[in-house]
Amino acid sequence: MSTQVPATKAPLEAMQRQEPRRSRSRAGRRWAKLPVHLLIALLLVVELYPLLWLVLGSFKTQQEFLNDPVWSLPGSLNFDNYIEAWTTGNIAVFVANSLMATLPSLALIIILGVAAGFALEVMVWKGRNGVLLIFLTGIMVPGQMILLPLFSAYFNTGLTGTLWPLIITYTATGLPLTVFMMATYFRAVPREVFEASTLDGASIIRSFISVGFPMVRNAVFTVALVQFFFIWNDLLIALTFANNSDLSTIQVGLLNFTGQFGAVQYGPLFAAICINVFGTLAIYLFLNQRVMKGLAAGSVKG
Amino acid sequence: MQSVLGDKKALAILLGPALLVYTLVMLVPIIWSMGYTFFSGNAISGFTFVGTDNLTRLFTDPEVRTALSFTIRYAVVITVGQILMGYLLSLMYVFILKKSSNVIRTLVFFPVVLPTVAVALLFQKMFEIAPQNGLVNSLLNGVGVESVDWFGSASSAFWVIVLMDIWRSMGFYAVLLYAGLVDIPEDMLESARLDGATGWRLIKNIVLPLSLPVLLSSIIFSINGTLKVFDSIVALTNGGPGSSTTPLTLYMFRTSFTFGDYGYGSSIALLLTLLCLIVTIFIFRSSRRDLTKD
Amino acid sequence: MATLRTKNRMLLLGASLGTASLVLTGCGAGSSGGGEGGSEAGEFSFLTNVENTTISTELETLASDQCKTAADAMPLKVDTVPQTNLDQQLQLLAGQGALPVQFAAGNAPALTKELAGSGNVLDLEATLTDLDVIDQIEPAAIDTIKALYGGFNVLPYQYNVEGVWYNKQLFAENNIEVPQSWDDFVAASESLKQSGVTPLSASGEQGWPLTRLISGYLFSDLGKDALQKVADGEAKLTDPEYVEAAAQVASLGEKGYFGEGVGSIDYDTAINQFLTGEAGMLYMGSWVLANFNDEAANQIGLDNIGFMPFPKVEGGSGVDNQYAANVGLPMAISQKAYNEGTGEWLKCISENYGSSALGNQGSISGFKVNEEVDVDPLTQTVQETISSTSESVLWFEALFDTQATTASQTNAAPLVTGSMSPEQFMETVQSALK
Repeated sequence: MSTQVPATKAPLEAMQRQEPRRSRSRAGRRWAKLPVHLLIALLLVVELYPLLWLVLGSFKTQQEFLNDPVWSLPGSLNFDNYIEAWTTGNIAVFVANSLMATLPSLALIIILGVAAGFALEVMVWKGRNGVLLIFLTGIMVPGQMILLPLFSAYFNTGLTGTLWPLIITYTATGLPLTVFMMATYFRAVPREVFEASTLDGASIIRSFISVGFPMVRNAVFTVALVQFFFIWNDLLIALTFANNSDLSTIQVGLLNFTGQFGAVQYGPLFAAICINVFGTLAIYLFLNQRVMKGLAAGSVKG
Repeated sequence: MQSVLGDKKALAILLGPALLVYTLVMLVPIIWSMGYTFFSGNAISGFTFVGTDNLTRLFTDPEVRTALSFTIRYAVVITVGQILMGYLLSLMYVFILKKSSNVIRTLVFFPVVLPTVAVALLFQKMFEIAPQNGLVNSLLNGVGVESVDWFGSASSAFWVIVLMDIWRSMGFYAVLLYAGLVDIPEDMLESARLDGATGWRLIKNIVLPLSLPVLLSSIIFSINGTLKVFDSIVALTNGGPGSSTTPLTLYMFRTSFTFGDYGYGSSIALLLTLLCLIVTIFIFRSSRRDLTKD
Repeated sequence: MATLRTKNRMLLLGASLGTASLVLTGCGAGSSGGGEGGSEAGEFSFLTNVENTTISTELETLASDQCKTAADAMPLKVDTVPQTNLDQQLQLLAGQGALPVQFAAGNAPALTKELAGSGNVLDLEATLTDLDVIDQIEPAAIDTIKALYGGFNVLPYQYNVEGVWYNKQLFAENNIEVPQSWDDFVAASESLKQSGVTPLSASGEQGWPLTRLISGYLFSDLGKDALQKVADGEAKLTDPEYVEAAAQVASLGEKGYFGEGVGSIDYDTAINQFLTGEAGMLYMGSWVLANFNDEAANQIGLDNIGFMPFPKVEGGSGVDNQYAANVGLPMAISQKAYNEGTGEWLKCISENYGSSALGNQGSISGFKVNEEVDVDPLTQTVQETISSTSESVLWFEALFDTQATTASQTNAAPLVTGSMSPEQFMETVQSALK
């Protein structure tokens, strides 16, 4: 989310420098900003309260969940639910599975998708609109439709019982959107840039790697982020192909906290969700830092 | 130069792998499943050829009509809501919060990170009426309004779903659109400002047209996602009350795997695919036309 | 130089992907030996819903104790899927001929019937007779399974009887005898109402606790096959004798015997009303014993709860002591994966599961209890009731399809609150039946 800042610092700063010239008195500005502040405060409450509720919930006992109002505080701050989630809930295994399925698919989606988007938008050849449309169908077909044929394909090739079906399916289902979005972003890059670089004698592949890819790196990061959360939060494909408790991803694992007759163990479930959410958040913040640094370094060099 | 941009070998290297994976893992299974449209039965008892029975059944099945109308209503309302909220947020990030938008963006984006199961649970608890009132009913009682059984009627359940899905996705679209907004060249904005364009006029004449490509791909993305909604509805209402909040995907999944009629399930999927196709081509075409005009 | 290296890398990538896709498409020839699925010889694989931990825990206990011999020869391997996804997994696995040895029977009997029709499900009547353990299964359980599944195709790891639970103290205070007939039942409700207690606690939100009363009346009045006839098309729910049952239940509502706001009372609230003494009677299945045993929730005390069969309609053609029964989510055995080792397991389970599950988890099954087990008196009563019953009835929606089930359960509350007439109710359900 906070990704595109470095590349665009200049225009924003320029805009800010322009502003004082036109602005009225300081007090007036502060008054004018009041509705905005209220709006932001409201936004924060709407976004943060559920998070708080989740964290509080992870400390509540089952009785507190059933008998106390939704907004009540937990009676004590004990970590039993976390222990329960970690031990009986097997959260560590599920997180590992999710990572092992998500990261390789993400890498494949980006490499293949960006290259294909480049080929479809920058390169000149007959029938590229047709191919783009074929990729576009992939966005439109409901995922439920490919389950049965894929299940027998994976089964007959002996891939069932491993994480490969997940990786392959995620890669394939992630491609259409990535290709389409990358094509859109490449469209925004002036063609002269590529024409100039190929005039220098660089091959088109070199031009893609040294000019094309860096020009859309912000977009790549956005797309990667989108795909990461798609894959991470997927339930349908994981339920169908990882039909074994050793292969369950975190989303499937969360369903384990529902008991017979629909009774839910709320405390451990919330603890598991918290582990999941804050884990994801940590990964995200870490990646974000790395990518920001990389981007900054790149822009200095450029 | 044109020959370099049209280099066949480079094309094969860049496009080949993606096309291959996509064809094998998506296109072939799609066509395979389309074939089942002409059969009834399932993997257990085998398939029998029924010709176009499944397709004609689509037109007479009242469940299809309910599911189709729910799907369209849902997709339109959610797409408009997501994009509108997302665009307003992204405008706020760029023009009001400016550099300090980092934290807010992260927070508003946050619900996307939450697992669907968790979000659904949260909304169930907030809108519950029994055994005790949830947050929403308590607030209503506080202002003297009687508690509402939100999941008891089709229309109120629909609005809870809408609220939930817009809440969890608006931050995501805000970031997506933000990426388009910050790419607008500074000199364009500056010269527009020097020409005296401010506020609404600046947005309408400069920002909106320039962010149109991203806006359009967001719309395509959103409409295709919402037409295929599955997880969030299964987790929140499971299609109830009755079958009033059952989208086509859920009806298709049930027909195929619960009622064991894979052929008819594929026919429902075909209907949904056609729906997406029409909508997308419509948007796609209009976007291309707009761009060539420039 | 750089170009060359990148090119190579790209080629390498392309090549490895090519291989991957070759593997993917590579025709299935000779792949049957792969380690996939659960049908590997030498493993007692068991696919169950993740929600139910009782059965797998108990089987694991057996595997290390009474069934050690069977388990040594054929180790138990439990796999779980969420119940919502069970039907899909069974369909997909059966389509590949890869069902595990033992599997949960799907959410509707129709799926098991279909699997049986395609030769995927073991006929337990023949097998257990061969193994000489058929007498280890409660006859009432076999009866229920046959009525639901069209044959003895599944194992009753769970067996629930349904009836009326009553508050003994409230009955004594108001001089109420345990009702034998429907008229007694109505009279008892009236006395309870006079004393300011809700006579019958029922969840109108769930619907089924109300329709159970309709089917109970039907079975008692018209006989055990009353609803089978409807399913077969020989009778209609709109026939006067069927509408009568709905009218009787509607009149209970009209007289206010279900208390205030029956339509919005949910499952937990209904049980809570009974356990706090606010209600005198509760129609429920024996799975509710778990709630009764929860000391924090049960304020009237376990000793204070009695259990009786559905009251008999006078002059009706049903049996005395009629109980509705179900087998929860039962387990089937794959016919294709059946072998001697599975036979050993089945024999051992049949002989030991009943007492083991009852003793360790207080869970009542359709297997006979062969050992003295120390349980609370109420559970004991229910267990004895099961042993002494040879016939059971089903419930209102048991033979309905999903649509009619939904129609019945969502309209039950309108029926007892009077916003829908008995004729309208039966008409609605009948027209949803296909």
